[in-house]
Amino acid sequence: MTPEFVQQLITDRLAATHVHVNGDGHHFYARIVSPRFEGLGLLARHRLVKDALKDVIDSGELHALSLEKTATPAEWAAQ
Amino acid sequence: MSVQDTIRQTVTSNPVVLYMKGTPQFPMCGFSAGAVQILKNCGVSFAAVNVLEDPEVRQGIKEFANWPTIPQLYVKGEFVGGSDIMKELFASGELQKMLEGIEG
Repeated sequence: MTPEFVQQLITDRLAATHVHVNGDGHHFYARIVSPRFEGLGLLARHRLVKDALKDVIDSGELHALSLEKTATPAEWAAQ
Repeated sequence: MSVQDTIRQTVTSNPVVLYMKGTPQFPMCGFSAGAVQILKNCGVSFAAVNVLEDPEVRQGIKEFANWPTIPQLYVKGEFVGGSDIMKELFASGELQKMLEGIEG
């Protein structure tokens, strides 16, 4: 799995407006901006991402994904 | 007592509990080591459970929080998150606030 592929998956499944993924094929690091995070705490945001990617995580295709940032568009703009 | 009961008792009878791989002195995984470091930086004392010592707890803790990975942090009986969440909460100062008032 490439960082580009992970980035595309996240973009599609979370209607993300901005996604940045780094990784070496085994461990990936993502920063995600999505309106779906609106009104959610940090734990709920992380659960949302992991649920959206559950099939590829469970299958072992996506081995490790660290979430460095999960922001709403408004939070992202305010930075 | 079932493993779920044991976990519930552990997280409610200790104000801060870290389920980790290895011990605070000898973490066996980079993420667990990072989690220990963050708690040390917060200056709080915590109970650590080494999941590598007990396969039932290792599996049971994932079901307890419905969270697939270790480490897992619990404060006052509540699941806070894994190492990414700890890192982000520490960077924003929220974790320190959460741990305020707990005896160091």
